[in-house]
Amino acid sequence: MYALIIDDSRAMRSILRRIVTDLGFETLEAADGQEALDHLTAGRIPALCLIDWNMPVMDGYTFITNVRANAEWRDITLMMVTTESEHGQIVRALAAGAHEYVIKPFTPDAIADKLELLGLVAKPVPA
Amino acid sequence: MLYDPGKEYLVEARLLPLAREAGCADVDAYVVKLQTDFGERAKVLDALTINETSWFRDNAPYQTFTDVMLPAMIAARAHVRHISIWSAACSSGQEAYSLAMLLDQHLPSGWTAQILATDVSPKMLARVDAGRYSQVEMNRGLPATSLVKYFTRTGSEWEVSDDLKKMVRTQPLNLSTPFPLLPTFDIVFIRNVLIYFDMEMKREILRKVHQVISPDGFMLLGSSETTLDLENHWGREAHGRVQIHRPAGYTPTSAVLQPASLNTTAMTGA
Amino acid sequence: MSAVVAEPSLTDVEMVVEEVWSSFLGAEDPLMIGPPSELQVGWSAAVTVSGEWHGMVSVELPTAMAEQVTRRMLCLDDDGQPAPDEDVADAVGELVNMIGGGVKSLMPGPSALSLPVVAAGRVARPSDVTEVCRFDASWAGSPLVVSVHVQSRTS
Repeated sequence: MYALIIDDSRAMRSILRRIVTDLGFETLEAADGQEALDHLTAGRIPALCLIDWNMPVMDGYTFITNVRANAEWRDITLMMVTTESEHGQIVRALAAGAHEYVIKPFTPDAIADKLELLGLVAKPVPA
Repeated sequence: MLYDPGKEYLVEARLLPLAREAGCADVDAYVVKLQTDFGERAKVLDALTINETSWFRDNAPYQTFTDVMLPAMIAARAHVRHISIWSAACSSGQEAYSLAMLLDQHLPSGWTAQILATDVSPKMLARVDAGRYSQVEMNRGLPATSLVKYFTRTGSEWEVSDDLKKMVRTQPLNLSTPFPLLPTFDIVFIRNVLIYFDMEMKREILRKVHQVISPDGFMLLGSSETTLDLENHWGREAHGRVQIHRPAGYTPTSAVLQPASLNTTAMTGA
Repeated sequence: MSAVVAEPSLTDVEMVVEEVWSSFLGAEDPLMIGPPSELQVGWSAAVTVSGEWHGMVSVELPTAMAEQVTRRMLCLDDDGQPAPDEDVADAVGELVNMIGGGVKSLMPGPSALSLPVVAAGRVARPSDVTEVCRFDASWAGSPLVVSVHVQSRTS
């Protein structure tokens, strides 16, 4: 299962890559929304996108509206991972089609919790 | 509590502010003071207890609450249209408010619910009353749709809505001493706290819970905790990987086993 | 114009910075508050907020700390070599992005957050801004400063 990590910061992509790799994902990366769309149009369709909001070229919000406009991509789970944390912005992102929203800063557990909520990560059954 | 070796600096970092507040020059001097000052000891316990708690912690118990316990209680309490819940050892209140969110979503209109959140720490209870959580706490397991529905921003924190706050009442309570006067509860969440007590005290606490739970009520322990081998006041039902406890002698109705037949068993619990 | 002139409280800014630090950097060394210092700025970064509230949030760090931050975030080994400049610029930029986003959320919205500007040395500030909040802290024995500037009222 692939996760596409979309963030203009390599440091942030590296942090997210380590977290989702530990959770069993293989990863693709993109430095902005357009690069991420290029992955999708080239047929590299991930199960999950982790999406920053503020990026050069194409921001994460625009990326989400583009993904949601294409019926072939409707199975992709979209999760914003951004420092944008105004109440109204979270509402906007959800309305545009984001499934979940994580606010930076976050801990690895926070990402794992959300992916469990989304049914993408199974919690180990306690012994 | 256990800290990894090499984490002493963490303890030091957490204690230094308390030491300064108490007028001690450094942590060493503070430790000497602790030997005689019980008030300060309580503060240290607060500071060192890592309240690692998330919204909808472990998820499955909350699924069981929504799918099994709540429908059964809605069937059984049709005459009073009220449900009483206890969140024991509530810490900073994520469990109590998670339950309040589910009640807000699933309780039929015209019904009321009361969640009593208790903890040994007054500081924690003050946090529950305030209903304010840091950004890092908000990220832990709270669905984004619930965040926008039930919380507003206040400074660097988020505050839970008044509607949810009205459902949650707090009361100081030490599980290991005799209980104060409590209402009768339909559902008791007492998760991940018995592990801190020895066998004798576990039995004692479960016996006391038995006295304040209604005969058809539900009790939920932590996923690694069980009443097995502890005492015979409780019966167990498995729902998926979640184990629910009910007072012994209570015969599970078809409402519990087959939620579809709820209507026919509406008054059985009365 | 109609933009609100308001300033974030120091306590809230401290909280924002502390959360960023403890999430990504502070597992071993917690961030300590104060004391004010004249630090040798090695790297700095700033973001601007514009909309209902206008302001600029900046972070200034000594070189060694900027490199340490970079190694932690990119998970690089400390091989004694200085981290490449583009890595440091990236990491320090992400740091101010997170802190700036946190500060923006403290203020009346809606507002937009700019992409970070990063500099080796001090980021140039417009001449017509006033510092309304300054948070001095130290991490692993070195000082850092987070400050918030707004447009001077008289302009």
